[in-house]
Amino acid sequence: MTIARDDFAAVADEYVLGLLDEADAAKVETQIEHDTALAEAVATARERYLPLDTGIEPVSITPSLWNAIEARLTDRQPPSIAEVSPRRPAAGNDNGGSGWRAAAISAMAASLILAGGLIWSVTRTVEPLVVAVLVNEAGEVQAVVEDFGNDTANIRLLTDFAVPADKTMQVWTLPSREMGPMSLGLLQESHSAKLSGSTLPRPQDTQLYEITLEQAGGSPTGRPTGPILAKGFAKLAR
Amino acid sequence: MSTVATAETTYSRHRESSWGESGLALATDQTENLETALLACAKGDRQGLRLIFDLEGGRLVAVAQRILRRRELAEEVVQEAFIRIWTHAHQFAPGRGSARGWIYAVVRNRALNMLRDGKREDLVSDEQLETLRDAEQMDEIMSAWHRLDRDSRLRKCLGGLEEVRRRGILMAYVGGFTHGEIAGKLKIPLGTAKSWIRRGLTSLRECMA
Repeated sequence: MTIARDDFAAVADEYVLGLLDEADAAKVETQIEHDTALAEAVATARERYLPLDTGIEPVSITPSLWNAIEARLTDRQPPSIAEVSPRRPAAGNDNGGSGWRAAAISAMAASLILAGGLIWSVTRTVEPLVVAVLVNEAGEVQAVVEDFGNDTANIRLLTDFAVPADKTMQVWTLPSREMGPMSLGLLQESHSAKLSGSTLPRPQDTQLYEITLEQAGGSPTGRPTGPILAKGFAKLAR
Repeated sequence: MSTVATAETTYSRHRESSWGESGLALATDQTENLETALLACAKGDRQGLRLIFDLEGGRLVAVAQRILRRRELAEEVVQEAFIRIWTHAHQFAPGRGSARGWIYAVVRNRALNMLRDGKREDLVSDEQLETLRDAEQMDEIMSAWHRLDRDSRLRKCLGGLEEVRRRGILMAYVGGFTHGEIAGKLKIPLGTAKSWIRRGLTSLRECMA
């Protein structure tokens, strides 16, 4: 049952005022995703009442509030199950729950893979010093790097990469800013591999790992030059 | 050679775990500022979120507190809202309403969710205290209207409404009251409250069109 066009203005007002019950608010939020006219009606209603909020006397806020926000940004895991399935649906403008859910699911997947990697790592005789989960720009998990800190690192690819014939995937890490990005090696084919040969400082917590697409034979400059396929920060294996 | 720049930029900016290249230009106008800031958030630039916090944080906490009546709940709401702004900034569509309206809607929505989950009810145990707080809150709600710009259209149009309709609308928007709560406070039947508010909203739309 969709909201009739004639009712858009009235429904938008009640939605913005928070007067709709849960079911009706959910209806607005679903319909708004593909119905521009309803989305515009909501935006108009919102602007109409906004001065009642923006005219308020601001309270003084302490830096600790920002710090609390920022701390949660660094660690962008889903804060709670409740957020994944809110009891009351979210606002009209941010109703694309699917995007959030995808991010949450990939973040959870990342935690699970990391957890799995850690468990796996502690049950083996040779243990990596750090494990990094690499994600693409959309936040989807692409690969896991285990750096053993001797001269080997394992790269496990968790997705199929399309690598053109004249290109190759190269794995990088940034031991320190002074040192700059260092190559861990090339992935000859698009599958998991063990790279060895590079002698680098002992990997640290939060060290950056990255896979870029380079010309066959590897980056000509010794620095990453191609597009980034995936990247992530290391966690110390405990 | 732009790809070189991309990869190098990422390395130099790695501590901020950001995908996008930065470069948040400071616009002079606040509305423009907020829009720029929101678009920066969508690109993963934390400076954008920080700017929103610096420009609007104090008011956003105040708005949430007006609804929830408790400072710590208001701060909790604002925290959650900022995380949501950060993760959902890409959904903001410039041209469909202002960035400011979008940001406030995220906070309002969180505050209303928390309110409807019943947290506000938990806070008062003493009945006298409650009466006092109610009176205070009602003053605060009405002052939102008085504080509007003298020449503002909204102020004039609200002023043109019958008092009880104006009150109902302000209680809903400013205080986060439901139809049922408004009916209770104004001591009118639920159906009457609903239809008065509905008619009030219609008059307001016509007045402001």
